[in-house]
Amino acid sequence: MRNIALKRALMGAAIAALAMNASAANAASATGTAKAKILRQITLTNTSDLQYATVISGATASTVAVSTAGAATCGAGLTCTGTTTAANFNIAGTSGAVVLVGGDSSVTLNGSLGGTMTSSLTYSATNVTLSATGGSFQVGGTLSVGANQTAGDYSGTFNVTANYQ
Amino acid sequence: MLRFLKGFGLFSAVVLGAAAVPVQAAGDLLVAPTRVVLDGSRGTEVVLNNIGSEPATYRISLEIKRMTALGGLDEIDEGDANDAEKAALNMISFSPRRVTLPPNQPQVIRVGVRVPEGTAPGEYRAHMLFRAVPDAAPAADPAKPATSGGVSIALTPIYGITIPVIVRVGDLGAEASIGEARVVDTVDGPAFAFDLTRTGNRSVYGDIEVTRPGVAEPLLLARGIAVYPEVGQRQVQLRVPAELAAKLKGPVRIRYTEDREVGGGAIDEADRVVK
Repeated sequence: MRNIALKRALMGAAIAALAMNASAANAASATGTAKAKILRQITLTNTSDLQYATVISGATASTVAVSTAGAATCGAGLTCTGTTTAANFNIAGTSGAVVLVGGDSSVTLNGSLGGTMTSSLTYSATNVTLSATGGSFQVGGTLSVGANQTAGDYSGTFNVTANYQ
Repeated sequence: MLRFLKGFGLFSAVVLGAAAVPVQAAGDLLVAPTRVVLDGSRGTEVVLNNIGSEPATYRISLEIKRMTALGGLDEIDEGDANDAEKAALNMISFSPRRVTLPPNQPQVIRVGVRVPEGTAPGEYRAHMLFRAVPDAAPAADPAKPATSGGVSIALTPIYGITIPVIVRVGDLGAEASIGEARVVDTVDGPAFAFDLTRTGNRSVYGDIEVTRPGVAEPLLLARGIAVYPEVGQRQVQLRVPAELAAKLKGPVRIRYTEDREVGGGAIDEADRVVK
């Protein structure tokens, strides 16, 4: 029964579509005009964050690197646990358009219990040529961890822009 | 007819599938159009849309950027702006400057322009930046138990889109010519590179098409390549897959044409042998 109702609904949609086609065909002789301006657009979406996961500091200063592919390199003396990821941004727009990627080269992180750390940032590309399905770029980085770095939750923000020229 | 309906049903299913978008971070955005050119007498509108799954607050501002010889755009602090750049900031007005949008809610940003009398002919440009104001970064992630002796890290990107807003004052003209082309190796892989030289008192903007003589299908297409007035020459470097890099070597024809929206006329074309 539901199935029949669905089919009817679809039939209705099909008829509506046909009716619309018919009116489009007659548009040439009608006096009214319809105007639509299609603008070129760009969209930017953030699909994953730059994650260093959890780091346990050692007696000497060291670094943790996350490549733009998301792979981690845990420096000597550190213990790294959890899954690391690179930040990923998807861009969509006109096929073939060249979009410039810009952003901060480093970020300072402040700890919830005091202390700061810095992370350098690396970008997978300086420009992205969009295909029909868009394009993407990734941000990785290298975190400098001090000797016996104060424990806590560290947070920081960094700027990233997709620039049309 | 039944077959037609079945096909229709399948189509509907696909549409429903596509509507179930993955969870996105707050702050995702859409901006249209991607470039604004004003003649100094009339303003325009730019559309901003929240394409994320959560409400977000966006800030709109004007930035100064300068093109580099490598074709990048350097951000310039307002304090370091030169007279022409400051003039651009003063000419262009826009509103609103801050807006909170529920998901899928577009907002029109009105852009106005007022050219003061006596402004020297030329091209004045600023870059309009749209970006979400982030929620306060959570100091502690409640989902994760506290790790003793360890540090957990939360990095929040503040991401946005910039589009150029260009004001042209007076009768301006410019030409560009294509230099030698080559395939280069960059840290990110192979790239097709060539120089663009510009003369005149405004920017040039258009699409690049690389074709092989006798082959209709272009090897490479890159749209929206500009040479701004602050540079007389820039390098265009387009990353290409290794396979295409090998194909590009040899005789090619490079065409630089104006944007299709302003007629698509040729700016320059040149036959080059790519090494």
